[in-house]
Amino acid sequence: MKTLLSLFLLVIMFGIYSSTFPAEDQCFVCHESIGGAEVELYKKDIHYKKGISCSGCHGGNSKSEDMETAMSKADGFIGIPKGDNVSKVCTKCHSNAQIMIKQYNSSLNWNQEALLSKSVHGRLSVSGQEKIVECTTCHNAHGIVSVKNPASPVYPVNLPKTCAKCHSDAKYMRTYNPALPVDQLDKYRTSKHGILNAKGDPKPAECASCHGSHEILPVKDVNSKVYAINLPSTCSHCHSNAEYMKGYKIPTDQFEKFSASVHGVALLQKHDVGAPACNSCHGNHAATPPGIESISKVCGTCHALNADLFSSSPHKKAFDQKRLPECETCHGNHAIITATDKLLGVQDGAVCKWCHGDKPESKAFKTAKFMKELRDSLVSEEGIALHLINDAEQKGIEITDEKFKLREAKQALFESRTMVHSFDQSKFSETIDKGLNVTASVTQDMSIAIDDYYFRRWGLGIASLIITILAVSLFFYIKRIEKR
Amino acid sequence: MNIIKNIYRWIDERVKLEDLVKFLGKKYVPVHRNSVWYYFGGVSLFFFIIQVVTGILLLFYYKGSADLAFESIQFIMSKVQFGWLIRSIHAWSANLFILAAFIHMFSVYFEKSYRNPREMTWVSGMLMFFLALGFGFSGYLLPWNELAFFATKVGSDIAGAIPLIGDPLKIFIRGGEEVTGATLSRLFGFHVALLPGIFTVLLALHLLLVQRQGMSSPLKVETLKESEKRTMPFFPNFLLRDLLLWLLILNVLAILAVFFPSELGRKADLFASAPAGIKPEWYFLFMFQTLKYIPGHLLIFEGEVVGILLFMVAGILWLLVPFWDTKSSKGQQNRLITYVGLFAVTFIIVLTILGWI
Repeated sequence: MKTLLSLFLLVIMFGIYSSTFPAEDQCFVCHESIGGAEVELYKKDIHYKKGISCSGCHGGNSKSEDMETAMSKADGFIGIPKGDNVSKVCTKCHSNAQIMIKQYNSSLNWNQEALLSKSVHGRLSVSGQEKIVECTTCHNAHGIVSVKNPASPVYPVNLPKTCAKCHSDAKYMRTYNPALPVDQLDKYRTSKHGILNAKGDPKPAECASCHGSHEILPVKDVNSKVYAINLPSTCSHCHSNAEYMKGYKIPTDQFEKFSASVHGVALLQKHDVGAPACNSCHGNHAATPPGIESISKVCGTCHALNADLFSSSPHKKAFDQKRLPECETCHGNHAIITATDKLLGVQDGAVCKWCHGDKPESKAFKTAKFMKELRDSLVSEEGIALHLINDAEQKGIEITDEKFKLREAKQALFESRTMVHSFDQSKFSETIDKGLNVTASVTQDMSIAIDDYYFRRWGLGIASLIITILAVSLFFYIKRIEKR
Repeated sequence: MNIIKNIYRWIDERVKLEDLVKFLGKKYVPVHRNSVWYYFGGVSLFFFIIQVVTGILLLFYYKGSADLAFESIQFIMSKVQFGWLIRSIHAWSANLFILAAFIHMFSVYFEKSYRNPREMTWVSGMLMFFLALGFGFSGYLLPWNELAFFATKVGSDIAGAIPLIGDPLKIFIRGGEEVTGATLSRLFGFHVALLPGIFTVLLALHLLLVQRQGMSSPLKVETLKESEKRTMPFFPNFLLRDLLLWLLILNVLAILAVFFPSELGRKADLFASAPAGIKPEWYFLFMFQTLKYIPGHLLIFEGEVVGILLFMVAGILWLLVPFWDTKSSKGQQNRLITYVGLFAVTFIIVLTILGWI
């Protein structure tokens, strides 16, 4: 009996004792009993799995069974966070390195909020009360999972759709930037990246691969990953990584070649943002290699005259028939170097020779040879005229007009380079003749001026002689007078 | 020859040339070991005549506005027949004119020829010398090239540092706060109208005084007996010697103009930064260099202001030397004057060389 009484008292005491120590997360216990999507989602949330209570974000006392106490403002209960408070709730931990590293052993960056605040999304929204984007805009509120988890809205395969929620909404987007297109997702789905992404491949580039995640900046910002000067290295992040690109069967030396090309040097070394970056030829959201027939059109977006001349030349049909990539056949693609006169003609090293070199009687061979000789003659005449100008300048002759005039010859040389793409002797001659007329005129003017320079010295000699004779005569005349 | 004689007779009948020849024939120039210095007055006059003639020829084509000045000189140099020669002679002659005026001034000073009764001749000569410097300063800007633009800026800045009158003087020279097209128009006006007008009056006075009073002899020569004094007829002997020297100078001038033609440089750009090594013309260099050597502050005064004031005082004392050198006027030797002159010559030469290198 004594034993039974003792056991009963022990049970009672344990009951009393255990009632003073309630379950760990009373919020979850209570809300689970009420039911709701948030609770179901939260069960899958990475934060739940790490043991973080609802009160971690919403505040309050999660240990109290009493609703009044648990949701007391005195205990920091804030309810559903609004506006910038949403991100503030997240940053309590995510911007605290000590909590992230020591408490949760996390390798996540703890400066995401700082990056977000400086990004284009960190600007004030239309209401002027909060940032445009809060953490939950992309990551959701309950049910947050790792970015590597296919269920995450920011998992690479899901991200284009997540971004498109706003960026494909024309009505929403025009309230911020009416000029910004809203068809990025549609274009993306036509790109190599987008097609593979739609097939569930997480490796091809999605929005964050190029624009960044938290640190997204406007494309015109020099620090943006997609600013013209930065873009090649952004693309090369994947495209120059042989290991990463394994399986896609494309080369990984594009960046290396581009950096040494005329375009790469202009863009990356001279910082000429007018020079083409990867997207200029491949497109950006719809990035894909240009088709064989459209290469001249793509290059023609900058080299318009060359492209037009080529398209109306006999080469267009021949190239299409032989499936030769237009501009690329002679100039290359990523490794395009400065076009020099050596490319023209039928001598060794000339590109015309590749197809026409073995047919000296053909019209094409003769045209290539003719154009090269004519251009060489203008280069030579321009050199002679320039030499005379420099010579005259050294002699102190005024050469401003002639120097200015000679620019027309230089211009004709530039034009002739373009006119080469017509592959038409008469059109080419017309351009070269303009330059030759100028060089002939300058050469004549300068020759006259230099002759005049030497005439000055002869003139001086004669004048000096006359003056000297006069002076000597006067000297003797004075002597004669003074002898008297 | 008969034709010349007939023409001479024809004119003589009407204006009595014979009287003038007789008058000139009575004029004599003292001959002594320092007579050579007499020629520098004539040489200065010759350069002035060349300046007037070439200046008028340049005026036919020169356009005195900031938009057209540089281009008009380019046109003169390249398109106008012998334009290059006229401009080069004008530029060279300007420099040689000031050099001849310097030599003439110092020769007169060391001979004490300014003494009673030639005080007015000295003062009129000195005023012409200052005007010649004004010609140089105003003419330097007219090509409206980079060097001239910045030299004028620096020059007018120095004028602006003069106490009390500095600021109004600078604005008067510049025609505003900065050196602009207004400065060019203004200095062009000074160069071709105002300065030549005043200069001509002073020159007429100077020559008239020389003719009325004759050439001054050194003190030592003056004390000689009349029989020991050597002279030479002014006409034709001295005048022909003058003419001979002028011919030689003309030859030198032509050689300089052909072999070392005046450069034009680059057009002035009001917004460009000053090129390195901006220097004034050589005749201002000794003052420019002195101001560079003076420390920023001398006691409570600004160094530059003190320097400018010292130059002004020195200039005034130099101008008024006939009035305070009473010993020379009394026919006594005044060694102090000689030492001051030697100091001035040495100072100018040394500082000019230092400024040049």
